[in-house]
Amino acid sequence: MQTYWFGDVEEGRCSPFTGDVNAMVSRILSLSVRMDEFTLPEWQQAVSCGFCSDRADYLRRLQAVCIAAAERSVREHYSGKDAELLQMVRTLDEMDTVINLLSERAADWYMVRHPAFSRKYRRTSAHILIRTLREKSRGALGKVAGEIEQLAETRTALAKEVSARANDVMPNTSALIGGLVAARLMAHAGGLLPLSRLPASAIQVLGARTALFAHLKTHSPSPKHGIIFQHRRVHNAPRDIRGRVARVLAGKLAIAARLDYFRGVAAPEFLEQAQNRIDMAGKGDEA
Amino acid sequence: MNWIGDVLVSRGEGGVYNERMLGGARIWEPHRSKLAALYHVGKGVELEPSLRVLYLGAANGTTVSHVADYTEVVYAVEFAPRPMQDLIEVARRRRNIIPIMADATRPETYASLIETVDLVYQDVAQPDQAAIAIRNGVFLKPGGYLILMLKTRSVDVRKDPAIIFDETIAVLKEAGFIVQENVWLAPYHQDHAAIVCTKPAKPGA
Repeated sequence: MQTYWFGDVEEGRCSPFTGDVNAMVSRILSLSVRMDEFTLPEWQQAVSCGFCSDRADYLRRLQAVCIAAAERSVREHYSGKDAELLQMVRTLDEMDTVINLLSERAADWYMVRHPAFSRKYRRTSAHILIRTLREKSRGALGKVAGEIEQLAETRTALAKEVSARANDVMPNTSALIGGLVAARLMAHAGGLLPLSRLPASAIQVLGARTALFAHLKTHSPSPKHGIIFQHRRVHNAPRDIRGRVARVLAGKLAIAARLDYFRGVAAPEFLEQAQNRIDMAGKGDEA
Repeated sequence: MNWIGDVLVSRGEGGVYNERMLGGARIWEPHRSKLAALYHVGKGVELEPSLRVLYLGAANGTTVSHVADYTEVVYAVEFAPRPMQDLIEVARRRRNIIPIMADATRPETYASLIETVDLVYQDVAQPDQAAIAIRNGVFLKPGGYLILMLKTRSVDVRKDPAIIFDETIAVLKEAGFIVQENVWLAPYHQDHAAIVCTKPAKPGA
């Protein structure tokens, strides 16, 4: 028997599919044929089936059901809890870029107006510099500084939301490395499913693309860490054991991501063991 | 193909992606579309109103919309949801684009939707591009054309693009395709090559 979108054909006899568009969408999304014994559909079969009247009708109905199926697939793809988190993280990281760029520019502008203050202000934190800048500048520069402050406020609120949502969507990964970094790892992998499919060695260097390709192309040393460097356990570790901590942490993160994807709830026993193991690597003891 | 002077155009409803118009026709930019680039370097397969096309890696439907202007029907396969949203919108405005959200490495999931086609056009960012083309060769009628837009950077960034080009051609020949044309798309697209093949009139011959 040959199964086609419009019906089934067996020994030259065709029985058309009679369900509505919704049922037909479910049908074509679940169809999978054995290619070695399959012959492709022909529109004439659908006509002889009584499914449609002519070629134009065949294409019209096929298009309608394919558009409906594609819409459903897209909707299902976005229904995962990680889909929105991914956009939130990327927005957050882009806001950081924008805030840094604008702050640099505003500071340069301010230095042109007040050459004497330049070095002094360089030492203060960016956030205080911008506030001073807003208070002391007339016209557009003051407004720009005000906008930067607004952006920074929104950024802080967004970071909190990202962190909270990551705790919910990926509880195990978040418990090991913090919601924000966990969400960044997920965003870099392209989603929770792709992250759960990554080997630990890839998670270890996620976000270190330039260094990784430099390593593959030339003989420069391999990167020890990518995004996971942002976690205190990695960047606080002494330089000589940082690579080890990163490797052990990445190994546990790979397991945590799989727990998050397949189970979706925290696994306390795993977390306790993992934390101990990572702490041990941080002390310089190898298990 | 439709040329107005040295400008490649296609005739259909404009405004798909704010493309520029010329004499009521849609300008088909070689810098934006690899297929347009192929025609600009003087190669490619003449698109005709009777053609049925399977388009793998349809993306946002930009090039798809131009192909659809020339041909009878385009089966447009795309895997990623974000570009698929745009592709659906393009398909809604044209009666001859059939959007299919599927993985081109798994033709068994969409084979029951697609009839035999005259042309398979492939533009996918995957490492195993030759394998995908060969697997989708089942949709091609004997004597039909395959246009493979080879993204050498997606195959292996470490390898020399020229070597990947030669290897891909060898694999296609091995699978029985007859290579008609192979050309780099410079200066329009870097590290991209086009391979035009035909499927033998009799399988295995």
